[in-house]
Parts: sequence; C-alpha cells; structure tokens
Amino acid sequence: MTTPPPGRLLVHGEAPPPLGRDLTVIGLPLDRRDALEKVTGQAIYSSDMSLPGMLHAKILRCPHAHARIRRIDTSRAAALPGVHAVLSLENTRGWHTYWYMIAQPAFPEELAYAGQEVALVAAETVDVALAALALIEVEYEVLPAALTPREAMAPGAPRVPVLDVERPRDGNVQQPVYVRARGDVARGLAEADVVSESRFTLPTQYHVDIQTRCCIADWDGERLTIYEASQGVWNVKRELARSLGLEEDRVRVVVQNMGGGFGSKAGAQRVVHYAARLAMLAGRPVRLELTRPEEFLSHPRRYAGEVTMRLGARRDGTLTAIDAEIVLDIGSGSLYAGRYTMTLHQISELYRCANVRVRVVAVYTNTGPTGPQRGVLDPIATFSTEAAVDDLAARLHMDPLALRMKNYAEDFQGLDDTTPPLPYTSKHLDACLAAVADAVGWAERDRLAADATGPKRRGVGIAAYCIERGGYAPFSAKADVVARPDGSVEVQAGVVEIGGGQITILPMIAAEELGLPAERVDIRHGDTDGTHYAPSSHASRITSEVGPAVLQAAATVRARLFELVAPRLEVSPLDLVAAGERIHVRGVPERGVSFRAACALMPGPEIRATGSRAPNPDDVIFRLFGAHGALVEVDVETGELRVLRIVCAHDIGRPINPKLVESQQHGGAVMGLGYGLYEEAELDAKTGVLLTPDVHQYRVPTALETPAIEARNVESEDAFYPYSAKPVGEAPLVGVMPAVRNALRHALGFGIDALPLTPARILDAIAARKGADAR
Amino acid sequence: MPVVASTRHVALTVNGRPRALEVAARRTLAELLREDLQLTGTKIGCNRAECGSCTVVLDGRAVFSCSVLAVEAAGRRVETVEGLAGPAGLHPLQEAFIEHDAVQCGICIPGMLMSLKALLDATTSPSEDDVRQAVGGNLCRCGTYPNTVKATLAAAAALRERAAAAR
Repeated sequence: MTTPPPGRLLVHGEAPPPLGRDLTVIGLPLDRRDALEKVTGQAIYSSDMSLPGMLHAKILRCPHAHARIRRIDTSRAAALPGVHAVLSLENTRGWHTYWYMIAQPAFPEELAYAGQEVALVAAETVDVALAALALIEVEYEVLPAALTPREAMAPGAPRVPVLDVERPRDGNVQQPVYVRARGDVARGLAEADVVSESRFTLPTQYHVDIQTRCCIADWDGERLTIYEASQGVWNVKRELARSLGLEEDRVRVVVQNMGGGFGSKAGAQRVVHYAARLAMLAGRPVRLELTRPEEFLSHPRRYAGEVTMRLGARRDGTLTAIDAEIVLDIGSGSLYAGRYTMTLHQISELYRCANVRVRVVAVYTNTGPTGPQRGVLDPIATFSTEAAVDDLAARLHMDPLALRMKNYAEDFQGLDDTTPPLPYTSKHLDACLAAVADAVGWAERDRLAADATGPKRRGVGIAAYCIERGGYAPFSAKADVVARPDGSVEVQAGVVEIGGGQITILPMIAAEELGLPAERVDIRHGDTDGTHYAPSSHASRITSEVGPAVLQAAATVRARLFELVAPRLEVSPLDLVAAGERIHVRGVPERGVSFRAACALMPGPEIRATGSRAPNPDDVIFRLFGAHGALVEVDVETGELRVLRIVCAHDIGRPINPKLVESQQHGGAVMGLGYGLYEEAELDAKTGVLLTPDVHQYRVPTALETPAIEARNVESEDAFYPYSAKPVGEAPLVGVMPAVRNALRHALGFGIDALPLTPARILDAIAARKGADAR
Repeated sequence: MPVVASTRHVALTVNGRPRALEVAARRTLAELLREDLQLTGTKIGCNRAECGSCTVVLDGRAVFSCSVLAVEAAGRRVETVEGLAGPAGLHPLQEAFIEHDAVQCGICIPGMLMSLKALLDATTSPSEDDVRQAVGGNLCRCGTYPNTVKATLAAAAALRERAAAAR
C-alpha cells in the first residue's frame, strides 16, 4: 500500500494551529439543534408561509409523451376575474430557466414528456387558478414517442426533444459515448479460465420527499425574495439571477426548513423560476406548490440502467478482466449529461484488475427528466459490480467474501492508462468487510440459512462499495464566524439544513475551536443575505467542504482573541489555549480569563473571520468505502421477501456527532431497501403516461418493513477531512441493494437480476428457473 | 368557473380550546387547522390519505386530517402537534424523539407524533410491533423508523414511570 501524503486541512492560506488540547465537543452525540422546533410543530417550512396579497399559481401540463404545440391561446384564462398573470410560450419566447446552471427553454414548442409544463396562471385563489387553466386552449400535434432506450435507439426512432439546450447527440444517444479503459480487456478475457456474464436491470427511483415543492416569490420592484424548499439557497440565487437577468444582489433566497430533498431539490427547480416570473408580472407575491402527482410527473428522478457485466478470472479467483456496458435511460434531460465518471469508481477501482473497460451509453427518452438522487449513479455501478462478483464466485465455487479479498485493491489504480496510480486519503475497506462478515454471521451462513422452515428460505449476502465523495469543484465554499463583545458567537454559512444535521455540525466545529459548549454558538443559515456562497446540501458535501471553512474562521477568531488577552496575562498568544469557556495559559488553567471577558476586550462591535475551502490536492484520491450485509427470508410459494437484518460498516474516519451519523445510516438503508424491494413506477407503454403517480402505488418503505439496522463502523484518522470526519450522507444507501440481492441468491441458489425484488418478480424467476431445469 | 362554496358553522375543540368558525362545506380538517387557525404544524404531503403527515387525533383516534371534512369534526375534540406539550413541558414522546434523534428533515414528525400519541393514550405498554403498526401509515423518507420505535418505547416507559410516581 502506498503511503498517502500527509493530510492537511483543506483551506486557503495558512492552516490553523493545533488546538493544544483534547477535543471536547467533536464526537459528542448531541441532540440536533432544530429538533425542538420540529417536535413542537413550530418549524416553518415554505409551504407553511403566507404573505399579504399572495396569489396562487397552478400549472397546465402536457397530456402527451411527445407533442408539438400548434396553437395556444391563453386570452380567456387571462380575462377570468381573479387572474393576475399568465405564462406560456406566447409571452416568454427566448426565456430560459436554469438547473445547475444548465439552460433549459422555459416553455418549448415541442414537448418531451407527459406532464411537461405548458402554461401557468397566478390567481387570487387555487380554485380560480384551476378554473383559468381549463380556459387555456392548446392544440397539440401528437408525435410518436420513444419511451425506453431500446425504442429510442431503434432505427427510425422519433427524435426526443430534450429539456436542456441542445447538446451533441447521435439520434437519441448523447455524445460522446463515455468510455474509460485501462489495460486490454480483450486480452484479459482471453486469459481468463472463467468468464461470468451477468445482465442487470436497475429501475428509476423517485425521491418522494414528503414536502412537495413549494415556493413563494415576492418582488418589490427592486428585489426578489424567494422562500423555497431547496437544498441550496446559493444555487437557487445564482440560477434565478441568470434566468431573470437580475444582478445577483437583487435576489435573496431563504430556506429555513425543508421537508426532504435527497438530491431532487439541489438546484433551482423550474417551479421557482415560474413563481418568480409570475410575481414580477403580477406585482404581488405568488405561491406555487406542487401536488403529489405533479411531483412524480415533473421532478428529476434517478437514472434507470441496463448493465452487462463480464468478469474474467483465473481458477484461483484472480480477476483478469472487468468489462461493463451500461445503457442509461436519462429521460428528457439530465444533470449528469456527459459526467458519468461516477459509474467508474465502483466498477474499476473496487478490485485489483489490470484490464478494465466501462462504456456508458446515455439515451434520451420521452419520459420525465432525470437527475441526482442519494448516491446518484453509485447504486447502478455498485449493484452491478457486487452482484456480478457473487455470480462469478458461484461459477468458481468460491466463497464470495474470499473472492473479494483475493482481489482487494489497496491503492487507486488509475481511471485509464493516462492517469497514474495514487494512494487514497485513507482506505479501510478490508476492516469494513471483516466487521460486516462478523456481524452478519458470514462464517456460519449456511447454518443461518438452514434456520428457515416450510416454504421459507434464508440467505446471507454481503456487498462492498467505493464511491467518489469528499468535495467537488468549484471548491469555493466560504463561511464566517463572528464573536461579539457580549461573548456571543455566530457561524454564518449559506447552507441549508435538509435533515442531515448541517446546522448542528457546523456550530460544533466552531465551538470546538473556541473552547465553548456547542449550544453557546448560534448559526445563521438558509439565507443568501448575510452569508457567503456555500454548496447545496447535496453530494455529501457540507461537512467536508463547509466544515473546513468554519474551522478556519473559528480558529482565526480564536487567534484574534488570544492577541487581545495575551498582554493582560503577560504571555505570548502562542502560549494560550481556549478551553472550558475560558482562554488561559497552556497548562495553567487558573491563569486566564473567561471567554466572555476576552470578548469584552474587543475594540469594535465584532471580531469577524472568513474561512475558505481550498481545492482537493491532486496527488491523493478522495473516496468513501464501506460494506453492507443482509440476512433475508423468502417464501418460495408467495414470493414475499423479508429483510431480517441489515448490518453495515462504513469507513467513516471519525464522527463529529455519532448520533447524526447513525441516523444517516438508517436513512440510507431504508431508502436502499425501498429501491431494492418495493419502489416500482409504471408508464403506460402506449401513451407514456405515468400510471403510478402516488404513494399508494409507488410504495416507499414504512416502519412495518424496516428491519434492524446495525452498524460496526471502522474509525481512523484522515487529516484531509476536518477532525477526520468523512462524508456519510449517501454511502449508507449504495451497498444495501446488492447485499440483499446476494442474500436472496444464497437463499434461492440463483440470482435475480432486476430490481425491485417484488413477490411477482421473485415468483416469475423461480418459475423460469424450474422451467429451465426441466428442459 | 370557480365553485361558489356554501359555508357551514363549525364549533369544535382544538387542543383543549373551543373554536367556532364559518368554513366552506368542502374544506378539510387539515385546511381548517392550517389556513383558518394557522396551526401549520399539521402538514399535507399527499392530500389523499396516503402519507400520514397530516395525522391528528380526533376524539382519541388518529386520523388523516386531509381526508376528514371540517364539518365532520364539528362538536369533536381535535389534538394537533401544537397541543402536545403541556404546561409542565414537553410530552415524553417529544422528549424521546429529540433524545433518540427520531427527527431528520422533520416534515413527517407532527403526523408521527400524533399517531403515537393516540397509541400511548390507549396503552403505555405497547410492544415494538404495536409501535410499528401505529405509524404504519406515516411515511418518513429520511428513514427515521428505527429511532421512531426506540423513542416511542422510551416514551412509553417514561409514561409508566410517571404514572407509578403519581400513585
């Protein structure tokens, strides 16, 4: 194993000096800061707000999967008493909305999916707005639609119009097709004693955030204020400013609480743009809230994928080739257009192998847009790799865990022949696998399987993951820490609390650096006024990107206070320590002053410092590792699959707040179980209309299905992260589905290669297997 | 054209306080609470009795307030999350939800709490399965369920202790 370069806090300028004492706040299982207002019903979400004179907007949606608007007439709607503004193609030509700064025509003439926005009305009440929508006359030219990648790639397929401004494409296939390879896959396959080929079908997944999108836009003639349900106030601010042609300081975005995001609310959504434009037209605040069915129709959901994996190995299990072909259904638009590197890490990095090829074909279809969801593309790559490894193990008659360890990769092997092998910041996947194996009873898995009786079968499965997290370009997060003469301290960060504990973690960091209890530090958050840019609370970014900025800012405030206190104590500032709400001489706690007294010495109204995150260095690789294990029970007569236990071991560094880390592990596992077992959307194959736009038919897990979820995390130092805290927001999802699938494989003796693992799919697979055996 | 709503006089008790108001005949209890009484702790996630975030307690039973008409609540007792804490402080469920981190984004929590309030009003010795059944209609996409169960069993124990101390 290569030794990584010495870790360092990733900030611009000088790294803060060490604390000179043990940690007192970091590592405590503190209650989350917003829990009290959330359990008392006092937490205000955008959907709970009402402004004086507020109008209500509703959306007219296209009923066809592919159509061109021949004629649209909104005049009768506009004339309806109570209607104050109407938006459509008629009065918005040339206007673009933005999503992650990607331009999208606001109201295109040619519509790409059933449910796409055609017009909006803002009126005195929701009822009036709905009545006005019914008065809008639209004449559609209905066009043939391509609803699946297979249809979209067929000769003569209709050309899917995409939401984004045009990108290079060949028919409906995005260009260039993404290929990364190292070594020579053909040679690796030829050298193999065994080649195991598996084909997997991974469906889309809907976020089903329980708060549907709701925004209120307020335009005072000079400045636009948006109360939003978004994961990133700064992203929304910048996207709206660009869309509306306003200077950035004329747009303020506020998100004090938001009811679930999971990736879907990371950028400015189209509804925010619409509400803003309507408010500017009407001169009154406009509220736009989506219904649950509208959420299903229009919000960008997870990419679906068809994956072909070929693994070549020698008899002893040594991998000689990994060949993966992924066909992604990216619907009518996708954030990750051309950015499919995420598929690579799991497939090419997890196992030592000289010959690897990953090919990703991204295909537009006449379905709703796609985008990031907790783990983004990792579930596709992880499931395919880890299911394929178990299939290979069966071919080799090898223990699947032993096969994994046989091909364990210590270091990053290079994405292709041009990128050099490098060390990871830290990697303890071997310890994670060992911990999961121990917890799930791997050594006695055949005995555990024998516990089942009657039509029940039991099985134990395991899966590892490697995902790319730990910070992303543009690496420009900043945060302020402010101390005031009365001894109060405030973190000011442009981050949104999305339920991950962001506003609990950041004050803990500042408190640690200043020697204060966490509750002594306030936080200003969820508002672009009074904060610097921070990334959206997505991609597990906040602790690893905003954390260092807060740490640096707090340490700078501490240094300034030391300078004020040092002359009084007749020592050098370098001899001081901040601890126990005091600033005192190192090793002599009684020689010091209280933190409050130190603050009273400041000459002005505040001491303010800004911290600034620096880019990740390029001589070391940032990844997250971990493993999941599952014990399942399947009834071979009914097809019912029950997950009895989920165990996980994440390579987490050190937790800042272990209570919050545990909650992320639960959340990821539950969403993973939903993806693996229950959640299934259905389009009408003829019309392209979504048949399951509700949570009665699209089943997300409840408390009734949720099994015990146990963690055996592996802790270690990794100084590239603040206090060694590696991200934990998404990783707890990605290994769940393959662990369950492999456990089911153990139970049944053969693998099922499509998700979700519903009773119908399991029964069909059992019947097909019996049929094959009979032949 | 917009429907001209006929209105009804509705008198009911909300969190122990008598309230009387004119409401549109088709107004739901959830709308009455959120829009007429500004009790926005009760959330609406689907408006068709599928997600549970609008759960309130009506005459001792947990109901989906999005699917109860306001007029049906006339003359009845409604309890919402805003009434859960008493003069003596937080309800043991609220304390346990904080302690066991059964809250993430928080949007489903008022509904969860009210489903569980109805359970614990009926029994302070629920089994784990009773707890899961009680919130079987409350979706939490953050996946707090393991902590929901832990917190509720802790709250039940606290209520039993409280009752024992009062004897």
